[in-house]
Amino acid sequence: MTTATREIVTLDNLRIISRTRSLAYGITLMAMGALEILWYGSTDSKLHTTIQFGYNTATVWPVVSSFLRVILLLAGIAIIAVAVRPRSVARIGHIFETVRGSRTIAILIGAYLFIWPVFLWWGINLHGQLRTMTVDVALTGYLFGIMSIGAGALMAWRRFDRSASGMLYGGLLIFLLGFLIWVARGSLPLQLTSILASAVAVSTFLMFGSLSGTLCERAGVVNIAIEGQFMAGALASIVFASAFRGSGISMTFALLLAGLFGALFGWILAVMALRYQANQIIVGVVIVAFCTAMSQFLTTQVLNVHQNLDGSYGLPVWAIPGLSHIPLIGPVLFDQNVLVFIAFAAVIIANFALFRTRWGLRVRSVGEKPIAAETVGINVVHIRYGAVILGGFIAGVGGAGFTLGPGSPFTYGMTAGYGYIALAIMIFGRWRPYGALMASLLFGFTIALSANLNLYLNQLVIPQQFITALPYLITIAVVSGLVGRIRPPAADGVPFQRH
Amino acid sequence: MKLELRGITKRFGSLTANSNVNLVVNPGEIHCLLGENGAGKSTLMNILYGLLIPDEGQILIDDEVVTIADPKDAVNHGIGMVHQHFMLIPVFSVADNVILGSEPVRPWPVIDYKAATTRLLELAKEYNFEIDDPNATVENLPIGAQQRVEILKALSHDASVLILDEPTAVLTPQETDAFMVILRSLKASGKSIIFITHKLREVLALADVITVMRLGEIVGVTSPAETDERGLATLMVGRSINFVVEKNPATPGDVVLEVQALYVEDARGLTSVKDVSFDVRAGEILAVAGVQGNGQTELVEALTGMRHPSSGNIVLNGANLAGQSVRHFLNAGVGHVPEDRQRYGLIPSLSISDNLVLDQLDDSRFRRRFGRNLKAIKANGAALRESFDIRAQSEEAPVGALSGGNQQKVVMARELSRELKILICSQPTRGLDVGSIEFMHRQIVDIRDSGVAVIIVSSELDEVVALGDRVAVLYDGEIQAIVPPSTSREEFGLLMAGAGADKATL
Repeated sequence: MTTATREIVTLDNLRIISRTRSLAYGITLMAMGALEILWYGSTDSKLHTTIQFGYNTATVWPVVSSFLRVILLLAGIAIIAVAVRPRSVARIGHIFETVRGSRTIAILIGAYLFIWPVFLWWGINLHGQLRTMTVDVALTGYLFGIMSIGAGALMAWRRFDRSASGMLYGGLLIFLLGFLIWVARGSLPLQLTSILASAVAVSTFLMFGSLSGTLCERAGVVNIAIEGQFMAGALASIVFASAFRGSGISMTFALLLAGLFGALFGWILAVMALRYQANQIIVGVVIVAFCTAMSQFLTTQVLNVHQNLDGSYGLPVWAIPGLSHIPLIGPVLFDQNVLVFIAFAAVIIANFALFRTRWGLRVRSVGEKPIAAETVGINVVHIRYGAVILGGFIAGVGGAGFTLGPGSPFTYGMTAGYGYIALAIMIFGRWRPYGALMASLLFGFTIALSANLNLYLNQLVIPQQFITALPYLITIAVVSGLVGRIRPPAADGVPFQRH
Repeated sequence: MKLELRGITKRFGSLTANSNVNLVVNPGEIHCLLGENGAGKSTLMNILYGLLIPDEGQILIDDEVVTIADPKDAVNHGIGMVHQHFMLIPVFSVADNVILGSEPVRPWPVIDYKAATTRLLELAKEYNFEIDDPNATVENLPIGAQQRVEILKALSHDASVLILDEPTAVLTPQETDAFMVILRSLKASGKSIIFITHKLREVLALADVITVMRLGEIVGVTSPAETDERGLATLMVGRSINFVVEKNPATPGDVVLEVQALYVEDARGLTSVKDVSFDVRAGEILAVAGVQGNGQTELVEALTGMRHPSSGNIVLNGANLAGQSVRHFLNAGVGHVPEDRQRYGLIPSLSISDNLVLDQLDDSRFRRRFGRNLKAIKANGAALRESFDIRAQSEEAPVGALSGGNQQKVVMARELSRELKILICSQPTRGLDVGSIEFMHRQIVDIRDSGVAVIIVSSELDEVVALGDRVAVLYDGEIQAIVPPSTSREEFGLLMAGAGADKATL
């Protein structure tokens, strides 16, 4: 077998590296499966967990008749079959091969359509609606464990190149779900929908933050000031909204103001890093230090005195008609505050802008090899200015996610280092907006998990602090390069100087 | 398009990279710019492409003076450049690289990849390029294909003058042949080409006009019909500095270093030293001559442990050092005056004293408990500064602040302050003034007379002849012959141009 030198990128080497990775991930999955069996599977067989789906009975789609369920089940199987083997149905399969990401989405939809009727048969209640489902904890553990081991073995044996990380993330989610079921055994029902919904809500600012980091680093500037931009955005937005007692139009301007404050600090970073060629990390840290100090000063000296300036004004919650009625997914994704939808839209727009537009191509070229961009007449410094200021704006809007999102007043230290975690999420998402979205959701889930564990404290054998530390532990694992093939933009953090 | 450079002068500090350079390139002409590394070719072309601003002089296009302040101006004036280190973005696709900077958009701001690909393939067809897949990632392509992408990029900007900076330096012989076909077809379609190289054979095969540069000046304009490889080599290497070294005949002792069938690969994985064997005796100077880029750098790196040879032996006093670490080489008594003293010889921000003990910090003289013996290091610095006449305010001055000659003296003083078996000097006098050159030569001859073996690598033929007791000529990584320094200049020219020992009359 030929050996791979990581430094030299050739197709052969890439294949070897990804095959090795697939083996490693497969082994990891099998280990997780074994853990699931040993840990969750060893629970007393009399113990059950009641999962509460808890959506609004009045709004749910009446997907209850057996006939409809069979149709959904078959449709799900059909979609998965086509997505897995696109060549079998040439006309539709063509779409999967040309439109990137469509295949993943199809598989997810298919899986959802498949799983939902199964759940309905299993857990239907007297009113003909799925509201709670009771599962045997030990059995679930065995089931999850066997699934993980099976998938892991298949991966280690067949060495999938491309779906390796997806499988690993899937295994991780199943592991966490198993943990939730285990922790809630024999006591209070598990509020699955509300945990997932709060996971999405808390990941809002992470999405904005990691998107900001992605944008800046794609252009070759390390924006380590996201934490500071968060604080500025959080403070500015709540003060503005409070001044107008949270009226509808003031909320819009509060968001805009949050963005502008973020952009201001982005601009300062840009001037220092691009015009004066100062060390980007140091400038970023100094900005964070400044913002920390300013926010402390303003909280103690201004907000504590004029408490009407630091109110509890939340952004409106929108339930998207139709979509919010989809069981489980509806309340999780489509019944959220406005900022969540803005975050989703920002991710989609940023991905399109980065990879489809002229501006995006130039941003990426400037972050990869600025000298090459300059020789074709691109103004490297201008492009970088634009990206860093826009990145600051996005992070500032994300800052509003701390205050206006959940509708809580500003408190000193409320950003809790999430600005730095956002950078880890950016790495986790491999400097891609969609990657940042997915990684944000995963981190958001661990955050929501630790917040919801209070309910089950007596069931928990491990200290709760460990769960609270989980996002930070994942951060360390990510930053130290444990996850996947991490390849930053080549000129990331490298100052550009003409001649 | 007729292009003219008139009286171009460019200085970097005290160094004059281009001095009053005049150059005319006519339409449909392949104009070769020939010269050694450091002769100022790249500087001149960077000026033409707007990457550097000249201190004096004018650029004329079709007899009109134009200002080229940045690459955008150059592109707008129809000048395209293929850099020695490609200006391609490795992780981008071929299409992305070609359209970057002039992306077709429809509707704004979405890139119209369909139009881009069509144009790319049309262009490739027009000039008989092979572009298999416009969506292939550039870093996965072989070097020759990357170069074609780079040329396509220039052509897609409607370049009518193409500057090619050492385009064949990175190509395999097969790729070079394919490249020459491309050049001829470009010429046939009326493009002018400025071709920078130091490879004589290619020049004679391709050029319409040859301009030879040396030390920032143009030293000759000729054509393949009027000259041959020997004539070009003589022009390139020149004889402007007259080296006179007083020395007695060598009294060679035992063999100190024996190199056997050495093969070395360069950073790109190409074999740049091929089957090199020689020996050096105590008390003699073996000089290695050759046009730069013929394997000298890799040979010296192998002989000093900086690069591991792919095969062959390096036997020093009976012990094979091949594959050992630099530390082993140093301990075995190898002294090294590197080619690039700023990068490998010195740490510019450290003081003279510190630089003088860089490789001797584990010597008990300079150690004290867990740290350094600062007093001894300073005393050592003062003593060596005195005996080597290093001109500086004090031995605590940072080395980076010294002139080139004094920096080289620091390197030499450090190497000579150890117990040496062999001293390897690469380009020992490059960029030095006459006084420092003389001093360096004196030191080298003295160390020889004290019974140390010496290897000198230099691209200055005069220096090689003046210093060497025997001269090995490298061409394309192979030793063509080892000859006495009294060999005639013409024969050296032939050897340096790759005519093997069988052809040269010895």
